Amino acid sequence: MIGTQVVAARNALTHRWQRLSSFVGDQEPLAVATVGIMTIALVSALVGFLLVSPFTIIPFGIFLIAASYGWLNYQGLTARMLTLSMTVSTILILLLITLFIFMKSVPVIQYESQSVLGVSVPGLRMFTQVQWDAVSPPIRYSMVPMIHGTVMVTTIATVVAAPLGVSAALFLSEIAPTTVRELVKPGVEILAGIPSIVYGFIGFTILSPWAADQFQITGQGSYLFVGIVVGLMALPTVVSVAEDALNSVPESMKSGSLAMGTTDWQTMTSITLPAAFSGVSAAVLLGVGRAIGETMAATVMLRGVPQLTKPLYNAFYGQATLTSLIANNYGEADGLQMDALFAAGVILFITVIVISIGSQYIEWQMQRKLGGES
Amino acid sequence: MSKANAGDTQVSRRKFLLTSGAIGAAGLAGCSSSEGNSSEESDGGDSSDSSDSSDSSGGSEISLLNAEGSSTVYPISNKGSSYWNANAPPSDGEYWGSTDESTVPGWSEFDNTDMNLADYFASLYGFDPTETRSDPPYPTTVSLSHSGTGCKAVRDGLVDIGNSSGPITAELGISDEKASEEYVDHVVGRDGQPVVVSKEIFDAGVTQITGEQVRGIYQGEITNWSEIGGPDQEIFVIGRAEGSGTDTSFRLNMLGAADASMSGVSSRFGQNQQVAEAVANNEGAIAYMALAFTSDQVPPVAIDFDGTVYKPDKDAENTIFDSAYPLNRDLHMYTRITEETPGGTDMQEGAFLNMFLTSFGQQVFVEQNNYIPLPTKDIQAEAEKLPDQV
Repeated sequence: MIGTQVVAARNALTHRWQRLSSFVGDQEPLAVATVGIMTIALVSALVGFLLVSPFTIIPFGIFLIAASYGWLNYQGLTARMLTLSMTVSTILILLLITLFIFMKSVPVIQYESQSVLGVSVPGLRMFTQVQWDAVSPPIRYSMVPMIHGTVMVTTIATVVAAPLGVSAALFLSEIAPTTVRELVKPGVEILAGIPSIVYGFIGFTILSPWAADQFQITGQGSYLFVGIVVGLMALPTVVSVAEDALNSVPESMKSGSLAMGTTDWQTMTSITLPAAFSGVSAAVLLGVGRAIGETMAATVMLRGVPQLTKPLYNAFYGQATLTSLIANNYGEADGLQMDALFAAGVILFITVIVISIGSQYIEWQMQRKLGGES
Repeated sequence: MSKANAGDTQVSRRKFLLTSGAIGAAGLAGCSSSEGNSSEESDGGDSSDSSDSSDSSGGSEISLLNAEGSSTVYPISNKGSSYWNANAPPSDGEYWGSTDESTVPGWSEFDNTDMNLADYFASLYGFDPTETRSDPPYPTTVSLSHSGTGCKAVRDGLVDIGNSSGPITAELGISDEKASEEYVDHVVGRDGQPVVVSKEIFDAGVTQITGEQVRGIYQGEITNWSEIGGPDQEIFVIGRAEGSGTDTSFRLNMLGAADASMSGVSSRFGQNQQVAEAVANNEGAIAYMALAFTSDQVPPVAIDFDGTVYKPDKDAENTIFDSAYPLNRDLHMYTRITEETPGGTDMQEGAFLNMFLTSFGQQVFVEQNNYIPLPTKDIQAEAEKLPDQV
């Protein structure tokens, strides 16, 4: 069994190799040489860049010259090579950024080591105690208050954005007349383009002082109102994506249901919504992703003092989120404090990746379930 | 020039690219050869022959003078830079010189010079006057960031002058010896950190508090205004960005140590504007911020330090404008000591900084921005740090 697999794999490989060599054989030798020079030059430029060499410009210059020569003489092959290298460099740049963030957070992860049963676990103390103090001893960089803040804001934002967004999408997709939909849908999408500082500014100057007054909070800044504002910001995303999902439910399914004598509402709740469930969840997840990553509004509206609220579910006091911590402190931070900000970045990065992959997976499931042959 | 090229933008753009490329290359060449030059210079140029040094800096190396740093020093530095770049003629009267209608403060110090503003100050250090409005002998720019960023920028040689509201030793975490070996500290003015309270609290009679009470509030021992004679209202304690220059100097001067605990703080803001806005919008707030941002809505209170009451009133016996007021801090413009400038301040920097150390500069750039001008003896001490005038 395994033997046949190996043979098959070897066959596939030799087949590939034959195709490649015949492809190369078909090209003019000069064209192959040009592309070869481009490849070698680009790789050496990358190596030079990584070594911070002042001579990086030389291979890069050679690459540019070879590329322009190739573009003028062998446009097709050069274009292939160029598009491939652009794709590779995009991925490479993203990988290097990720690597950089992780590497920058290493010192603080080491500093916050804690031993469990005699084994030192790096970074554990960031999560087992709740004190953040970058200036006065004991200096501690706990991530718990910020994770708490992010969870609070995200939860409240989801509670605001999910019901509003899904019902608006349902109305636009199923109930509203075509003219209304044609007008409102682009309008909602334009709302997504309002810069977040505008929301934050309104929150800081009007909403927060009003809330502090009404709820008799000592000073302004509460997770509740940051959550509401961020929820409103995420709303356009939720409406737009959920509407697309509801729209993609095949008309035949709805017609079939209606033919059975159900009302429009019964069709919506028992056919359309369940069929589009995965797409609608993806919409909500995308909205949540925006809420987690939201920086400006959270930074200007929160208090910027990393500590837990008492009791934990107290949403009337707002301290700091992972993003607001970075935005508040990047200018003044130094040494370990700066590394701690990178650590907050790593946590955000991982969270957003998980959510993004989750929503992609759900969308893929929806495609498989309802995509059909279209 | 621009008119002649206007019809053929492509050529001019290409020309521009070529020229900028050439400039870049020249810069690179300059960089790579500078090591050899500088060692020669430091070997032979120890004697302070001022005409010689003015030749080297005034003649060939005229370039942009840039500064960066603290938002607290920015108003002084930026106003100075704006005045400098405008290079107003003495016939202006409002910004420089004297007319029948108005005369700039401190004008008598300049012997009725007929030179433009920047021309005058630059000529003291051997630069040729341009005698043209809006065209100073060399332009200056000031970027706005933070004290720490400004100190790092001057350390890394990215800017000529690093503006900082805290001492560079605290901003960069270096020792006093290292700081005095590598940097020259030019103090251009003082910034008082008045303690402000919400208008409601001020109107309710809390117009003076003791240093010990402020410490208690910021360390969480006092949480209600009624404990210090105010109304029954929780205290909304506002601090500044953790580790910022303002934060560090407040901890040092009010709480006793640069790393003193501030467990009573309920909110932190990065910028003076935000603090002023938050104090105006919330009842029962206390905060400290730059003098320039106080107002009727954000009133400063008198502080009693060990029996001496410093009042927020310019005419009082002891005021928060005094240098003795413990929350006053020096506003620094740091320059770096390099091999080319063992004195730490080159002619360009010297000419610019000297402008702030005149009675004109102190009144226009420091006092008019609500900062505290330097006393005469401090001005003299600061002037001695500058290179010799020509």
